Amino acid sequence: MELTLNQTAQDADLDVLRATTPFRDAPDALLRTITSIARRARHAAGERVYTAGDDADDIFIVVSGIVEHVFTPEVGARDPLKRMTGGGVFGWAGLLLGQTKRLATVTASEPTEVLRIGAEELVKVLESDAAAGNAVMERFASMITREFTVPELLAQVRRLSGRPQPEEMTTLGLTMYRLSLWLKSPRPYLMVVGFALFLGFWYLSVEVWRLPRFKEMPGITAVIKEWLSPNPTYGLSFYTAEYYQHIGMSVWRVAQAFFLATALGVPFGLFLGWSRKFKEYVFPVFELLRPIPILAWVPLAIVMFIATESAVVYLAFLAAFFATALNTMLGVESIDESYVRAASCLGAKKSQVFRHVILPGALPFIFTGLQISIGVSWFSLVAAEMVSGQYGLGYVINTSYMMVRYPTIVIGMITLGVVGYVTSAMVRIAGDYLMEWRVRELALAER
Amino acid sequence: MDLRAPEPGGPAVTRGHILIDDVVKVYDPEGAAVMAVDHCSLDIDAGEICMIVGPSGCGKTTLLNAIAGFHDITSGTILLDGAVLCSKERPKAEPGPDRIVVFQNGALFPWKTNLDNVVFGPVMQGKLTPKEAVDKGRAMMADAGLAGVELNYPGEVSSGMRRRVEIVRALMNDPKVLLLDEPYRALDSLTKSVMHEALLEIYYKNKVTIFFITHDLEEAIFLGHKVAIMTTRPCKPKKVLTVDIPHPRDYGVLTSKRFRELIEETNDAVHEEALKAFQAGEKEG
Repeated sequence: MELTLNQTAQDADLDVLRATTPFRDAPDALLRTITSIARRARHAAGERVYTAGDDADDIFIVVSGIVEHVFTPEVGARDPLKRMTGGGVFGWAGLLLGQTKRLATVTASEPTEVLRIGAEELVKVLESDAAAGNAVMERFASMITREFTVPELLAQVRRLSGRPQPEEMTTLGLTMYRLSLWLKSPRPYLMVVGFALFLGFWYLSVEVWRLPRFKEMPGITAVIKEWLSPNPTYGLSFYTAEYYQHIGMSVWRVAQAFFLATALGVPFGLFLGWSRKFKEYVFPVFELLRPIPILAWVPLAIVMFIATESAVVYLAFLAAFFATALNTMLGVESIDESYVRAASCLGAKKSQVFRHVILPGALPFIFTGLQISIGVSWFSLVAAEMVSGQYGLGYVINTSYMMVRYPTIVIGMITLGVVGYVTSAMVRIAGDYLMEWRVRELALAER
Repeated sequence: MDLRAPEPGGPAVTRGHILIDDVVKVYDPEGAAVMAVDHCSLDIDAGEICMIVGPSGCGKTTLLNAIAGFHDITSGTILLDGAVLCSKERPKAEPGPDRIVVFQNGALFPWKTNLDNVVFGPVMQGKLTPKEAVDKGRAMMADAGLAGVELNYPGEVSSGMRRRVEIVRALMNDPKVLLLDEPYRALDSLTKSVMHEALLEIYYKNKVTIFFITHDLEEAIFLGHKVAIMTTRPCKPKKVLTVDIPHPRDYGVLTSKRFRELIEETNDAVHEEALKAFQAGEKEG
C-alpha cells in the first residue's frame, strides 16, 4: 500500500517535471532519478519563499498556485518582475557558474505548492548521464536568458564534470561548428573575391591585354591545361607519377629538417633561457651565426656532406633550428617571475618548476617559433634544391626554367604554396591542441 | 552575508607568529647604496591579520619578499614561530609552503584549470595523492563559493574569482602565514568590497596569520587586527595601531563611529608619508 502511494506520488512529480522547459525532453530514467531527490513543500499566500542574497541551495518548480519572482537590480534583467504558475521553474541560481547566492526574492501570491530539488544533488544526477544532463543544463541556460531576460554574461550554467562536455565531445563536432560559423561570416566570400581578382588579373594581363613584361609569362589557361592534362606537353601534371614524386621528396626533406630542428632547437632554447651561464657561453656564437643567410652555407654544406641529399636537408634544418631556438629562449624569458615564485612557494622542486611552469609558459612562443621554422625550412629547402639535388619542387622549378618549360614553373610554384600552407596549418592545429587554455582565452577576448 | 560568528578573537591559533627584528635591507646597484628597509621591527601574533600600509614604492614589498624567501636581507633577523627564517648569517630564507604569497597581479598558472591550480601545492610536495588533492580541492573551492568553475581556466572567470582561487590554492597547503601583496589593487571598488568580505569569511574558517600589504587605509582598518603604517623609503613602522573593532566584521563597520575615529587618528600619518614619497619622487625625477 505504502509502495503504491509512493509510486503515484512519484508519477505525479514526473508529470510536473515533464511540463517544465528544462526537463521537457529528458529521458524517463533520468527524470525518475530526479523525482527521487525532489520533495514537495507548501507556501501560504504572501509567504516569502526566499530572499535575494540567501544561499542558493534548492531549485523550485511550481506545482500549483502563483509566485512572484523579483530580481535584484544588479542582475540587469530586462524584465525584473515575473509571475509564475504551474510548470514555472525558479531558484536556478545554484546552477550558475560561480553563483552561490539567490539573485531574486520570491513570494507566493496565493497558496502555492512547489517541488524542491537540491541543486548539488541535481548536478550529481545530471553528471551520471552526461549527454542528457548536458542537454538539461543547456535548456536551463536558454530558459534563463529567454524567459527570465537575464543577460547572457550572467546566465552561464555550470559545466558538468566527469564526462566530456558537448563542446569537447568530438574535435570533429567542434571543427564542424567553427566551419559553420565561418561560412556564416563574410570572410569566406571576401576570400573568394580576392582570389577571383588575382586570377582575373593574371588572365587579363597575360592573355587579353598582353601587357609588356607580362606577355612572356605562362598564361593561366596554359598552366591549367598542362596541369590537368593526362599527357602533359612538358611531362608534369596531376596524372603523372613524377609530380607526386617531387612533392613527396620535398615534403620528406622538410619533415626531416623540421623534426630535427624541433627536437634539437626546443631543448636548446629552453636551456638558453633557463641557465644564465649557458647563455653567456653560447649565445654570442649563436647570434653571430644566426644572421648568415642560408645560401651562404651552400658551399660548406656540400663540402661537409658529400651526399647532396643530406646537404639539402642540413640547409633546411639550419634555418629552422635558429628560428625555433631563438623563439623558445624568448618564450622562457617572457615568463612572469611571479609564476616561478608562486611555484617555489607552493613547494615545487626545480625540475617540477621546469615541467609545470617553464615549459607550458614558453609554449605560445615555441609555437610561434615553429610556425616561422616551418616557413623558413621550405624557403631554404627550395633554395638548396635549386642549387643541388635531383628531385623536389625547387629542382622542378629550376630545371623547367633551363629547359624553357614555363607552365611547369608555375605548377611548381603553386604546388609549393599549397603544400607550404598545409604544413604550416598543421603546426598551428597542433599548437591549438596543446594550448587549449590559450584558445579559450582568446575566444573569450573576441567575444 | 552570513559570517557564522566564531568566538571573539577566534580559536586560539598557535602557529604563524612572525617576529621581524631590526631588519635592514640595502640595495646596492652599482655602488649607490639605497636603503629600502631601515631597522624595521614588527611583532605579528599568531593568527593575526596585520596590515602594512604605506605609499607605493616605500619598501613594503621588500619586507614581504624577505619573509617569503625571494630576496635576502642585509642585517637583522626574521623569526617564524621562534625559528630563524633569515638573518645576517643566512640572509635569504628558503621559500616554502608554510609561507605562501598571493601576488599583486595574480599568479594562477593560466595553462592549468582552476582545480589543477588549487591542487598544485600538495601534489608537487607529494603530501597528497592527486585523487585526495582533487577531493580536498573541490571541497575547499565549494566552500569558497567557487563550485562550478573547477574545470575552467583562470582566463575564463572574473578577476574577483581568480583572486579567490588563488587564496584557496594557498590555503590548500595549510600555511602558517599568508603573504598578500596588494592583492585587490587591480579590482574595481565594488568587486573589492565583495572580496574583503569573502577574505574575512575564508579567514574565519581557516585561521592563519595574514601579512597584507596595501596603500588603502580604509581597507587596512576594515580588515586588520593590527595596522602598521610605514615610513616611505627607507621603510620602517611609523605607527602601529591596534584596531579594537571586534571580529567578525562586515561592511556595517565602515559606517561605525569607531571606524571613522580610527581613520582620523591615522590619516595624517599616512598623508604625511605619501607627501614625502611624492616629494622624493619629484627630486629623483
